[in-house]
Amino acid sequence: MHEPKLTAAPTLRRSLWRHLNKLRWLTLIIVFTMLALIPSISLYQTYLAAHAYDLLTPSQQQFYDIMALLTSWFTQHPLKELDAIKGNTWSATLFGLQLSDPLAVLGQLAASLQLYWPFLLSALIPVLLTIIFGRFFCGWICPATLIYEMNSSLSVWLRHLGLISGEQRLDRRLKYLVLIVGLALSTAFGSVMVALIYPPAIIGRELYYAIALGGFGSGTIFFILTLLFDLLVARRGFCRYLCPGGALYALLGRYRLFRIQRRVEQCNDCGKCNAICEFSLQPMRDDFGQECNNCTACIAICPTDALHFSIRIRDQAGQGDGYLGPKYRQSRREADQLKKESGL
Amino acid sequence: MNRRTFVLAALGGIAATLLAIKAVPGSAWAANRVQQYRMRFLRPPGALPETDFLSSCIRCGQCAEVCPNHCIQYFDLQSGVEAMGTPYIIPRQQACILCMKCGDICPTGALAPIAHTAEAIIDNVAMGRARVDESLCLSFQGKTCGVCYRACPLPDISLRVGRLEQPHVLDQCVGCGICERACIQMPQAIRVIPDYS
Repeated sequence: MHEPKLTAAPTLRRSLWRHLNKLRWLTLIIVFTMLALIPSISLYQTYLAAHAYDLLTPSQQQFYDIMALLTSWFTQHPLKELDAIKGNTWSATLFGLQLSDPLAVLGQLAASLQLYWPFLLSALIPVLLTIIFGRFFCGWICPATLIYEMNSSLSVWLRHLGLISGEQRLDRRLKYLVLIVGLALSTAFGSVMVALIYPPAIIGRELYYAIALGGFGSGTIFFILTLLFDLLVARRGFCRYLCPGGALYALLGRYRLFRIQRRVEQCNDCGKCNAICEFSLQPMRDDFGQECNNCTACIAICPTDALHFSIRIRDQAGQGDGYLGPKYRQSRREADQLKKESGL
Repeated sequence: MNRRTFVLAALGGIAATLLAIKAVPGSAWAANRVQQYRMRFLRPPGALPETDFLSSCIRCGQCAEVCPNHCIQYFDLQSGVEAMGTPYIIPRQQACILCMKCGDICPTGALAPIAHTAEAIIDNVAMGRARVDESLCLSFQGKTCGVCYRACPLPDISLRVGRLEQPHVLDQCVGCGICERACIQMPQAIRVIPDYS
């Protein structure tokens, strides 16, 4: 067994990986902004197509001017060329490339019981990325994650104020049941039911309704209920216990290549990673599993850079106490003591 | 029986039951949905027959985002949970201009891609068929109007006019609804009767 030097100070050269979490926040914000921008662009295009600037109300004219300014940096032919970016995270068309959520494909397959190849292929890239990076969609792209994480921060504030916040533990496998039942209902009703209970799909649609059609739909009520569920029942409870898409991504990413692992030699058992983990996993006890969405919050908070990305298809088995932690050092000291005494 | 066998058996059982339900014609869940709709609306051009359309549409919202005429709207719960989030057009509010962009962008083929040519549109688009209410139509009351004919994107193919510009809908009407939108009578004397098949 590797013998650590107990007197060694933690390495001071901090790893750059800990900044990934900021990059993730940036990605989330960009995705969310795009989800608001695309409906705005769509509305702007209808105003353009109508050729009736002077018939718009003053607020619509302001909107038109802002959009004209924003889009003028990218294109001189907004009516035609802005069609290149359409859709949302549920299904999008980016410069002729169609991308769809794997759950959309599975749901449509369950509902129609027919194969439509162009649509199946549109999920190919997301599926491949999920096989490599696991539930990365949940942590890095999902527009609901942005709101859910802010909601978790809210629950922390509420706890500081002494108000209730949910700390229930349910069974993680519940979401697989939701996935199966959702798909079964899709088949039964002949309609893609999973689209109605999947927060990123709901947000994509509702943002379009709110911006282009003038009001939120009832999907918003469902989404607010999921926020309340997170606040009152369990932190990030919907993602962890109920989300059908999260279930599918977790299954696809079970043997993901990129996973966060702990270097036991550098771990000091401070437990910050366990506390920060939105999904209540335990990085400090090597418990990542298929649930980890590679959000890198634990890497960012680790004071000793013990957590890092590694390329392997299974988690390391529990490695025990961190070598820099008090428990391990105590046990080493006792072992040394014992050795010394027996040597005498 | 271990857990794996149990899960597989349960999944198989569910799948078999569902297939059986789907296979029985006229069963409760596969029943004719069109009868449930309490409003008159059109599906966007190139839409599959209603049952297939509902099972193919993933509610991604791209058809409306690409529609330059802003005519596509989405159902909330008013037409049942099966139709929630699916696109519809109310021609009197805003009619389809047959630009065919929605079919091109639809990822699932729920709206079939159709070339933007008159022939392809006439052959493949069947949103409905216009019907003239002669008791309301001005031309049939002796006041020469012809607005619907002027508005029609396929004049003399879908709609021709006779004496006093009286409109007569032809078999090749694709049901875009521009005539209904244009009609100057209140209520409109020409309406599109949707075709969901």
